[in-house]
Amino acid sequence: MQEDLRTAGVKRRSFVAGTVGIAAATGGSGLLSGCSSGEAAAGAGPESLSAPATELGRKKTGVNYPPGYVGPVAREQRAVVTEPVTFTLVVPQSLTVGDWSKNEFTRWMEQRTGVKIVFRQVAGKGNDAETMTKVNAMIAAGDVPDAFLGITFTRSQLYLYGAQNLFVDLRPCLDKYAPNLQQAMKDYPEARKLMVSPDKGIYSFPDINDCFHCRASNGRALLNTEWLRKVGLAMPTTTDEFREVLTAFKKADLAGGGKTVPFGGYKDAPLDTYFMNAFLYNPGEPWLVVNDGKVEANYVKDEWREGLKYLRGLYADGLLAKDIFTANEDQIKRYGDNPGGPILGGARVYYWGTLMTLDLVDPQARWRQYRTMEPLKGPDGVQVAPWDYLKVGLEVSTLVATRKCTRPDLLVRWADFQLDLEVVLRSYAGPDIRWSAKGDKGINGKQSVYGYDSWNTDATKGKTWDQFGVMYRSGDFRLAERVNPRQPTFESPLYEQTRDYLYPHRQPMERQFPPVTFESDQAAQDAELGLNLKTEVTTSMAKFVTGRLDPADDGQWRDYTDRINRIGLRPYLEVQQAAYETYQG
Amino acid sequence: MAVATATTTPTGAPAPVRETRSDRIVMICNYTALGLFTLAVLYPLVYVASASLSDPKNVVSGKVWLWPVGFSTEAFKAVFDYDSIVSGFSNSVVYALGGALLATVLTLFAAYPLSRKGLPGKGIIMALFVFTMMFNGGLIPTYLVVDRIGLLNTRWAIILPAALAVWNMIITRTYFQSTIPDELVEAAKVDGCSDFGFFWRIVLPLSKPIIAVNMLFYAVAQWNSWFNALIYLTNEQLFPLQLVLRQILIQNAFDPSQVRDTAELIRMKELQEQLKFSLIVIATIPPLLIYPFVQKHFVKGAMVGSLKG
Repeated sequence: MQEDLRTAGVKRRSFVAGTVGIAAATGGSGLLSGCSSGEAAAGAGPESLSAPATELGRKKTGVNYPPGYVGPVAREQRAVVTEPVTFTLVVPQSLTVGDWSKNEFTRWMEQRTGVKIVFRQVAGKGNDAETMTKVNAMIAAGDVPDAFLGITFTRSQLYLYGAQNLFVDLRPCLDKYAPNLQQAMKDYPEARKLMVSPDKGIYSFPDINDCFHCRASNGRALLNTEWLRKVGLAMPTTTDEFREVLTAFKKADLAGGGKTVPFGGYKDAPLDTYFMNAFLYNPGEPWLVVNDGKVEANYVKDEWREGLKYLRGLYADGLLAKDIFTANEDQIKRYGDNPGGPILGGARVYYWGTLMTLDLVDPQARWRQYRTMEPLKGPDGVQVAPWDYLKVGLEVSTLVATRKCTRPDLLVRWADFQLDLEVVLRSYAGPDIRWSAKGDKGINGKQSVYGYDSWNTDATKGKTWDQFGVMYRSGDFRLAERVNPRQPTFESPLYEQTRDYLYPHRQPMERQFPPVTFESDQAAQDAELGLNLKTEVTTSMAKFVTGRLDPADDGQWRDYTDRINRIGLRPYLEVQQAAYETYQG
Repeated sequence: MAVATATTTPTGAPAPVRETRSDRIVMICNYTALGLFTLAVLYPLVYVASASLSDPKNVVSGKVWLWPVGFSTEAFKAVFDYDSIVSGFSNSVVYALGGALLATVLTLFAAYPLSRKGLPGKGIIMALFVFTMMFNGGLIPTYLVVDRIGLLNTRWAIILPAALAVWNMIITRTYFQSTIPDELVEAAKVDGCSDFGFFWRIVLPLSKPIIAVNMLFYAVAQWNSWFNALIYLTNEQLFPLQLVLRQILIQNAFDPSQVRDTAELIRMKELQEQLKFSLIVIATIPPLLIYPFVQKHFVKGAMVGSLKG
């Protein structure tokens, strides 16, 4: 799905790229309001960099930070402007935000910063094909706002539009007027590299959200510890032990009536990101890894074939669910929620909530039986938990200023204002947050900083920006959320199990293929070849595992690699290699 | 065999046609097939209605399959808590009614002259109409036009660009050709009736079926459409219901590995489960209400209009 959207986006973009030139030449739409003073406005005016640099404010007292805390801090912040200024922002539609102009956080921000925002709401979530259709139409028609907020342009799009002078290079403003962001970039040294386009411009104000457990999502699988106890086996650590465990589950038929499913999964959680890592480091789609500065594709390697043979063995013995490649989320949940007792021995899912309805009150709830498995050690001793160092943590394109915006400096100051601890909390959790007292425990067991009693739709409807705002949520910040001791959520176990079972097995960062930026012709090639390769790899994997193809058969394996090569693996890798080298600088 | 049965009838009155075995088999097959079709159409409707009246938990766990389980009207109450849903509904009504009225009037005005023999340049005008069925300016040029004439982000942007469907116009023209004979025009002329008078006093009263058909087609098309609204509107107060519905149905389509906040995911799921079915029911009711009233005209109008090209 994700891949399809990207292709659509790119194709449209190459068309739009042509039209933008025309629109730019004929001048924009006459309908525009906002900070633009006239049609001639082309980026920042001279006055936008004349103001003195903004300094960090004084720390507010009364907030308890754990020792060694790295992240957003509550500070005294001054208003951005004394005379009112207005920006027009295009934003996505959201039921939680409601009408952006009547939203409570909008009002609060306007009061505190003095900056007035006129919103134009676009239907869609901000990152789907529909939103981009609308946004591309606006851009092509020259009908652009001062800035886009929460509209997800890809890195390649930012670069392309930046080069066309449609998006503004915020770099000078970020250096001078974004003290909070500068601090965040010191906390996260990789951040700058991830933000910069190949031409060294920075065409967006980023959002930092360092989600610890998300970095390990692809390598997570759960196993029923209650069942392990019943069959008298320990948590498996090797591929052979794992097979033994599943065989024991099947033989013992702990669900009764032959209903036992030793290991399940569903189509949105690929099997390869867990199992292949017993044979080689495999981060999952697009299955690219870096080996000594060289970009390689996993799916044509011999280790991949070994992995397929292993999975084929499991499937042939009836140890994997029959519908493991086709089940959707509802179906896997139906297994997980089976009335009368669990029927799943384990599953490849991202967390418990995909597997079953979570009962957060009962300490004996079923989901607590399931524990994160360590990655399995393969016959050659490979044992990796693919760790996402680069694609999780920093989102580009959260706030993008266009050439209509005459005062990007003020826009940047307005955005930087939102990176403050208190503002971050108000932005996504609403006004009902409470600072933690000394001794309150957070998700990671250390001193907690903040908490809220309820965070549900009814309570925050119309009061927050539903995560569309610019925010700085560091790892420490996220884990400093107070845990209600009477109703502990799954956040603590999710953190602890990731820390104990996955994090120690992570691969070195240099091996991860980073999020790269493509030149426009490369982008088209990447999208087209990438989609075809993805289709071939996923369908063949399902066939190899379910036995419609035999991974042990040399002829069939050769046919498979031939098909991959015919699609164009070589040009695809060349494009990726070039983009990778650009990224490395 | 049929003959044999007929002759053995004792009375002199015409024998009631007895069903032969093959007749009966055909009937049984017919009824079974039709019954299955009816079930196939009816089941999703009943399911959605039941699901909307059940406790969301029972829907998720698959306990609801025909009748409501754990009756609850919470979902409908929740729907009215969201301003955008309420405003979306009223906007949709405005777009459907306004759009249907305007479009029907335009269609009649275009179709009637084209149905008359004496109209000079009829072929060219018709060709131009048909041309637009096959070719159009595309998304961006149309957007530019809507922008430049100042319709962007107004209700007119929804009503005007979709105001005439050539397809409907052709059906209507054919209807006129086949139901309004030239002799009638001539007779009216002899009596001193003007062209406008004829249209107003004679054509319109004779065209109720086709007017009903047009109204229905246009209203339903407007009711179901969301793309124009997506492209032309940037003010949530103007969004039609379908856009809001889409929003709720797709809001959940996260890439699960990319979910930063599992709590948020759960929240979204709950919201979706709660609102999904009740919203579908609400979106389906208005068209369902209209159909029975238009149905008798509908079959007649659409059939007559679709005779010969």
